[in-house]
Amino acid sequence: MKLRKVLRIARWEVSKNAGQLDRRTVAIGLVVLLAVGALTPLVAQQGVTLDDGIYRVGVPEDSSYHDPVAQDAKFVAVEPDPAAFPGEMELLVRPDGRVVAAETPKGRAALSDFRDTVTAYNDRLMTAESDEAAAFPVYVSVAYAEQNSPTASAAGSGAVRTTAEGKQRLDGETGDGNGADSGDGGTDSSGEESEGGDEPIGAPSVGGSGSLFGGSASGGTPADVAPPFPFESLVLAFAFVLPMNFVIQAYASTILDERVNQRGELLLVSPVSREDIIAGKTLPYFAGMVAIASVTAVGITTLTPAADGVGPLGIASTAAISVAAVIPIALLFLASSFVGGMFARSFKELTFVTVTLSVFLTAYAFVPAIFTNVHPVAAISPLTLVVEALQGTGAGAGPGVGVSLGDYAFSTLPLYLSAGVLFALGAGVYREEDMFTQRSVPLKFLDALDGQISGRRSAAKLSALSIPFVFVAELLVVALLFALPVSLSMPVLLVAIAFVEEIAKSVHVYAGFAHERFERTLRSAAVLGGFSGLGFFLGEKATAVAQLVGLPDLELGQAAFGTVTGLGIEASPLVLAGLLFAPLALHTITATVTAAGATRNRNWYFGTLVVATLVHAGYNLTVVSYIG
Amino acid sequence: MDNRLTVARRELASLRSEKTIVLAILIQLFVAAFSSFLAVGLVSLYDPGSVSNGFVVEFAVTGEASDDIEPVIEAEDGWRAVEYGSYETALRSFERGEVHAVLRVERGPAGRAQVDAIAPDGNVRTTLVVTQIKNVVEAFERTERGRLSSRLTRQPVELPGDAPASPYFSFTYTVLVPLLTFLPIFVSGSIAVDAIAEEYDRGTLELLRVTPLTATDIVDGKLLAMGILAPAQAGAWLALLSFNGTAIANPVEILVLVAGVSVGVVTLGATTALAFRERKQAQFLFSMGVLVAFSATYLLPESPPNAVAKLAIGSPTRATHLAVGAYVLVSLVAFVALRRVVAGRGLGE
Repeated sequence: MKLRKVLRIARWEVSKNAGQLDRRTVAIGLVVLLAVGALTPLVAQQGVTLDDGIYRVGVPEDSSYHDPVAQDAKFVAVEPDPAAFPGEMELLVRPDGRVVAAETPKGRAALSDFRDTVTAYNDRLMTAESDEAAAFPVYVSVAYAEQNSPTASAAGSGAVRTTAEGKQRLDGETGDGNGADSGDGGTDSSGEESEGGDEPIGAPSVGGSGSLFGGSASGGTPADVAPPFPFESLVLAFAFVLPMNFVIQAYASTILDERVNQRGELLLVSPVSREDIIAGKTLPYFAGMVAIASVTAVGITTLTPAADGVGPLGIASTAAISVAAVIPIALLFLASSFVGGMFARSFKELTFVTVTLSVFLTAYAFVPAIFTNVHPVAAISPLTLVVEALQGTGAGAGPGVGVSLGDYAFSTLPLYLSAGVLFALGAGVYREEDMFTQRSVPLKFLDALDGQISGRRSAAKLSALSIPFVFVAELLVVALLFALPVSLSMPVLLVAIAFVEEIAKSVHVYAGFAHERFERTLRSAAVLGGFSGLGFFLGEKATAVAQLVGLPDLELGQAAFGTVTGLGIEASPLVLAGLLFAPLALHTITATVTAAGATRNRNWYFGTLVVATLVHAGYNLTVVSYIG
Repeated sequence: MDNRLTVARRELASLRSEKTIVLAILIQLFVAAFSSFLAVGLVSLYDPGSVSNGFVVEFAVTGEASDDIEPVIEAEDGWRAVEYGSYETALRSFERGEVHAVLRVERGPAGRAQVDAIAPDGNVRTTLVVTQIKNVVEAFERTERGRLSSRLTRQPVELPGDAPASPYFSFTYTVLVPLLTFLPIFVSGSIAVDAIAEEYDRGTLELLRVTPLTATDIVDGKLLAMGILAPAQAGAWLALLSFNGTAIANPVEILVLVAGVSVGVVTLGATTALAFRERKQAQFLFSMGVLVAFSATYLLPESPPNAVAKLAIGSPTRATHLAVGAYVLVSLVAFVALRRVVAGRGLGE
């Protein structure tokens, strides 16, 4: 790759786009952007309320319940006509003041919500009272402390190690001198319950806003008590991901443009390598994403109330951490839409592909971050790093708090690796015979895999390269399932993981057979299965480093990754050694089964895939139930 | 009319042959599954009864006024109070995991109670325990207000009785149903942009123009194909939801609204594609435009998602019906306006 050539192609890409922008486009674009800017605060002020007027309450004008109903948009006051109950209303206030609910799920839900509404109304009513001690007779402060006892698991939760502990361990290991775990910010007031008592108790603020995060030790009325749920910071973090969805639309268009009417031919025959072309075409969009992310980061950090009193240095470092955490997401967005642009046959198909990518990637980045400070599963998403960095400024601590190198590696390494492999895969078909032909996406995918095969040993290489995707897919499954009760999620998880791994080990072998790269004999199937299993095994062992970081603490994480590595499982050395090499046998056998199926045809391949998945899941189940 | 149907059929056939529309269905399934999982997950974090029945939160109570809070805790089935003589023993018991939370209750000036609560840090239980602490102190606040009512000039409104309600009920109608009905619309609009931009980009518009089709026929046909997709998908979702036990009231009116909004969004997509021709710009401006238009409806009294929620849950008012009519009317006016412009100017060179 030559930097000068890459830069020239990047310049072309920019000037081509700039050339298409006439005055009208720019003007309309500006108007739309201005409208977004003007609407955002308006809508944010009004609040996105989806539940306006969903319940109807029959309440007399003179009832004491009339005001609570009138003040909550969720309820609509209607005539208290007993004849119309329960047809025209869900709740009815009787003349004697009793509230009756319709005997339907809706009626019960309405009553439950009405209790909350009345509670909030009472708090508002009491703020007008002169005798504050009688109006708000209870003051509460909540502090958080570590609970570390095996007896806690008696209640059925299992001894879940906390994120804070994991961090401490990490900081000790990596020794990056970030001063222990001050990063947990407000929530880390272990044992210092006096801190809560010392909080200045202000006037009761109904609705409990003000502080950015509800997680810190806080004092106030019972209405102010809020579970640690970093909702606002998540919305802020979302501001990073949303613009990426727009950028990849343009990027995927530009890739597909090259393939329409053989436009890319000229660049292909020019004396530049295809890596140069791809890097040059990607560079402007990547730079754009980083620029947008930087502006967003500086903007958010400056505007966040929690950042008050932090100097420019603190703002810069928080912004830098945010951008660094977002970069791998940006790369993965670009890499997957590059592959999408290389595979799609038409604009319409490209739209389906990019929308799918947007939804999956956004979910992957966004959902685990909701559980920041609550659950170790949050460590999966790089957005958690953004949220933690923002919280770090809230604690007023020094620069660089909250995010250690190990955390960064854990949540971003799979993304970096996946992005790299995807670019390599797409680059493999960036050639004349593939770019300008119309084939369906799955066939293109097989072509791309086939492009990476250069012999039987490639089976091992491709299996190893699939590890990041397996990792990402398994993390997604864990994120999806962890909320369910373990008894239900565990079997589903084991089968899902087995399926993902079996596909990763066999799909390139199938691609090789489909392109007649290998002899369709059982012998070659056995050799390929052996290589594929070995490659997967080695790749898996390499990722064991990443697993040391924190996820094995999570029960589901143990099931997902512990079974194949023996990590996080306490057993005798002999069993551990067995555990170390049993997976090799398992992977080889199942890969050979699927390879044998792949020698025949597609139906045989899917059939053997199911068999291999069941064998694999059975093995996992055995390991989990006997050792875990 | 025949000509338009031919164009529409051709569009749908191209979608079918590519089979990637399966992805669109997949996305919706994923979104539905994911948001439901999320709702179940979040609610189970907050509400112990919803997932594990019979889970009892144990509070260690201590301090001089602990006798006042104890009856409040004991009154509820899911709570148990354990009294400790000193704060230190309560704290040690908490650290050993014998209780879920510590409440120290002291009396401050003017008889005000000061509750210092300790909750477990950073684990799955945190949210749940904090929510329960909140409920306990709120109940405690109510009894205290009742005790001090002589000092108040206004009396708090009595709390109505409680009923076991599904915590997912309002989520289903206010989030899930609108999401599932409007997501297909956006995808359809995006595809409408592609369908027109593609003709310009590949130069196939010339071929269409030598056929006996008029410019309005072409646009009509493309909009028809994309405009049908969204209501069809929304209808399938509604059927699936009612099959699954979620009663959907007013399904016909919901479909009318979805079809109307779908016409509007698809018209917007076609307009941007006709105006800009280049997919990159048209898609970008279309998605931003939809974003703007949709957030702007939140400023109206009955935004489309809210109207769908009200219709589905069975609480529509006269304003809801009027709003549905207005949205359909606005979309149709936009569509007719686009047709007139296309009829006047043609599809350009």
